[in-house]
Parts: sequence; C-alpha cells; structure tokens
Amino acid sequence: MALTDVSFDAPRDGVMGLIGPNGAGKTTLFNCIAGLYKPTGGEILFRPGHRELSVGGFRPERMTALGVSRTFQNIRLFSSLSVLDNVRIGRHCRTKAGFFGAVLRTPGQRAEEKAITGDSLARLAFVGLEAAADQPASSLCYGDQRRLEIARALAADPKLLLLDEPAAGMNPRETGALTDLIQAIVDSGVSVILIEHDMKLVMKICRSLTVLDHGELIAQGAPREIRDNPRVIEAYLGRGMAHA
Amino acid sequence: MKRLAPALWLLLAAALAYPAGPWADQYVLHVLVLVLVYMVLAMGLGVTPGFCGLLDLGFVGFYGIGAYTAGLLTLAYDLSFWVVAPLACVCGAFFGVLRGAPVLRLTGDYFAIVTFGFSELVVMVLTNEIWLTRGPLGLPGIAPVSLDFGWLSAFFRPGTPLCYEFSGEAPYFYLALAMAASVAAVLRRAKASRLGRAWLAIREDELAAASAGVDVGRCKTLAFAVSAGIGALAGAFLARWSQFLSPDMFKFWESFLVLCMVVLGGLGGIAGACAGAATLIGLGEALRALLPGLGIPVEARFLAYGLIMILIMRFRPGGLFAASARQPDCPAG
Repeated sequence: MALTDVSFDAPRDGVMGLIGPNGAGKTTLFNCIAGLYKPTGGEILFRPGHRELSVGGFRPERMTALGVSRTFQNIRLFSSLSVLDNVRIGRHCRTKAGFFGAVLRTPGQRAEEKAITGDSLARLAFVGLEAAADQPASSLCYGDQRRLEIARALAADPKLLLLDEPAAGMNPRETGALTDLIQAIVDSGVSVILIEHDMKLVMKICRSLTVLDHGELIAQGAPREIRDNPRVIEAYLGRGMAHA
Repeated sequence: MKRLAPALWLLLAAALAYPAGPWADQYVLHVLVLVLVYMVLAMGLGVTPGFCGLLDLGFVGFYGIGAYTAGLLTLAYDLSFWVVAPLACVCGAFFGVLRGAPVLRLTGDYFAIVTFGFSELVVMVLTNEIWLTRGPLGLPGIAPVSLDFGWLSAFFRPGTPLCYEFSGEAPYFYLALAMAASVAAVLRRAKASRLGRAWLAIREDELAAASAGVDVGRCKTLAFAVSAGIGALAGAFLARWSQFLSPDMFKFWESFLVLCMVVLGGLGGIAGACAGAATLIGLGEALRALLPGLGIPVEARFLAYGLIMILIMRFRPGGLFAASARQPDCPAG
C-alpha cells in the first residue's frame, strides 16, 4: 500500500506545500486526487460549487471538468503539436463543438474556435509564452515547457491546481520567475497544492505544509513549525540526526 | 492555401477534362478511379493510426460492410446511390463503434490484434452467411449509379424522364473525384477543430490528454465511427461501380495495402494518404504491365511493395510527405 491514513484539508485560496523524501507517496497522492489511480479506501472530498462531492475514483477528465488540473513531474506535453494547440486542448472540457459542427463550420462552432484561441493566447500571455505560440512544444527549453504545462492546466479554468515539482531542473533565475507565476495564479483565485523539493521556494510561498514519509502523514502546519519539527528532520536526514 | 502556379492550374484543368473527351482510355480511367477509391480508403484509415495513434489492421472490414450494405440494399430495394451511400456510411460507423467500444482501453499490439480479428470475422460472415450474401458466389448485377432528376420535371413538363445512368468510366471518375474531395475537406476541417486536436492529443500522450480534460473514450469512439464511415462510403461506391461483390475482395491483404499507403504518405497527413494511394496503385499497375515482359510472374509486384516499405522505414520514417520536424533550438540556461 502506497498511502495509509493520510488525511488533510487543502486550504481554499493559497498554496499548500506537499513535501517529503523521495518515495514518500507525494505523486501517488496527486494521482489519487487527479483520478489516475483509484484509491482502495478512504475519501477524497471536493467542493466545486455549493455541494461537496466524494470524488475518489473519478476519471481524470471528470476531475479536470470539476476543476482539478495538474502538471506532471516528468513533463508530459503533446510535444509534436504547437504551443498554442497544447493550451487549446486544455480548453477541451470547457467547450463543446463536435464532429458535425466542425465539418459544417456552423456559426456557433466558429465563434467557439475563436474564443478557444483567444482564451488560450491569454493563458500563454499569463505564463509569458505568447511569442512562442506557433512553435512546436518540443522546441521550448525545459523551463518554458514547465510553464507551458501550467498554461495548459490553467486553460481548463481549475479551482485547484496540482503542481508536481514545477521547479525541478530550473536554475535560480527561472525558479524566481516561477515563484512569481505561482503567486499570480494564487492571486487569481486558484488554490494550489505544490510538491516541491526546493525548500527556498516552498518556504517562500506556502501558507501551510503537509509532510509525507513512507506513505504516512508525519506533520502538518505552518512552514516555520515544520522546519523545526524533529520528525520531519528525521525523515529527511535519518534517525540520529534529529538531535544533533 | 498556397497559390498555385498557372502551369499547375493548366495541368489540373487538363487532368479534369481528360476523362470527358472521346480520346480517354477506359483502362487509364479505370486505374484513376481505383486510385481515387484507395485515396478515400487511405484517408479514412488515416483517422485511427494517424490522428489517434491506434494501429488498425482490419480497416478493410468496414470497406466490406459498406460495399455489402450498398449492394444488398440496391439489389433488394432498388434504392438510388444517393440514398444507399449515406446508409452504408451509417452502417459502417455503427460497426466501427461496435468494434471500438469494447476495446477502448486497449492500445498498441492488443488493439491491432482485435482489429485484425474483426476484418477476418467480416470475411467469414460474408463467405458463410449464404442466405444473406450468397457466400462465395458473390453479388452480381448491382445496378450502376444513376442521376434521376425526374422529380424536377414536375416543375415544367410533368412526366419527362430525366434520368442519367452512369456508363463507362468517365462519370465514375468525376463521382469518385467528388467523393475524395469531400472526404478530404471533411477530414481537413475535423482535424483543425476541437475534436481533431483532442485526437492528436490522444496520439501524443493519452494520459496527459485525459488529465487535460479530454474525454478519451468519447473522442476515440468518434474517431472509430468517422474512420469506419469513410471506409464504408468507399465500399458503397465500389459496389455500384464494379457492380459485383464477392467476399475475397475484402481480404486482409487489402487492409495491409491501405495501411502501406498511409504509412508511405506519412501518418496523420491527408494529402500524404492520397499521395501514398496514388503511388502504390500506380506502381502496382505499372509493374503488372512491366513484369510479364521481363519473364517475372505478376505476383512479384508484392515484393516491390515490401521493398518500398523497407526503404521508407530506412530513409524517411516519417513518410514521404511528412512535414519536416523542426529541430529543437533552445538557448542554454
């Protein structure tokens, strides 16, 4: 079992950091929330509107439609498609034109396509990639690919955004820009859960932290408390180091 | 659209005018119609492996279903081609969904095996359900396509017969051309739409597509329906053009040939699929004429197909007409 007895509340408005050593089950937890894995037990509750839903085991596209978007630890873009198309695909669940609309080019479909393109360009501008719209996604550099993945996730108008190690492989300058981007996302009213190993970034933008180790929740609280929590230090550095 | 040079327009006009004239050779026209039919098939097949990335080895099954639907409806009810063709399309699309829905979660080899089995199944049914299909005897005497404007005469002189029955290859050439052009237009539009982008997303990364909000099952099912519908349309045309159908016209070899065309032209391309069809059919006919002169049996032309596929894989794995992929260029740091 990858996760046992992990229970927490993600705050509305703000960034919750999800940290822990490698193999702690952080990405597994994301996969459960985003619908890639079906949890064998327990409950995942999400309140997209007025009503609270038990969403454990929902399909990924349904979670996205409900308002939970994600990025991947190992970037998963549609690499041979254009940067703009990657974001336009993110608009899929917010639009509805079908095969016959496309073939007949009905006024409704054309208006919708125009709106999709406009909305997608706005997301690209938000992450600072509008100049690269027509390039293939694979031609972007690493940091830009991560930003594009965020733009694609934002295109689905999420209420909750799951970011899986967005700063991995970034240099300090790119990490700084990413910090500003995450802050801007939060300011636009989207809640964020962030898996990240870059503690500087985590301490800077997270309002609360949840720490996992071996699939169990070992600590929860404000960044300052977590930093001094002996169980957390032990998890990261090993037994015997905690009181050193 | 790029502007065509005047010389190209002239060439195009000459090609369009050629079949209408008395100088047109029936054999050449027959080959041209065949090329157009295979263009439609290649475009239709292209939807599944080209747009969605699912290898379909049994596409010819839908060709057969469309052909027999059209053939049987024509023989039994004497329906017009313009009624039969859409019905065949719908029937093909129905079987496309029927075949695709249970295997939505299969990908790669497993999906390919299912499709292969399906096309064998179609041939078995066509061969053995003698009460319906007359089995290996085939369906002879299917009426040719006709244009009946009799209903129009009601407006000026009631009772005037205004019926034109297709004879010779020339009218079929224009009909096939119209069919290929409409299929190309439909697919072009579909590919550039929300649905087409979802298909390409599934081809690129199915898991990421689902996470980006694409309803993968629904989009795949639609792709199966569209692909199968186009295959069945080509079949309906074949039924009224050849006026004879038999189960061995829809053997696995045909699926393989159409798949070769798609791969030769470049997966995912509409123009590429057409070019692949023209190349392989053209080559087949040229070798058919050439090989006996060299003392080689005609069947040896299949070896040439194999050779071409090997050369393509070796030198242009993206297909003859694949858009050259841009090299990633990224400033360090």
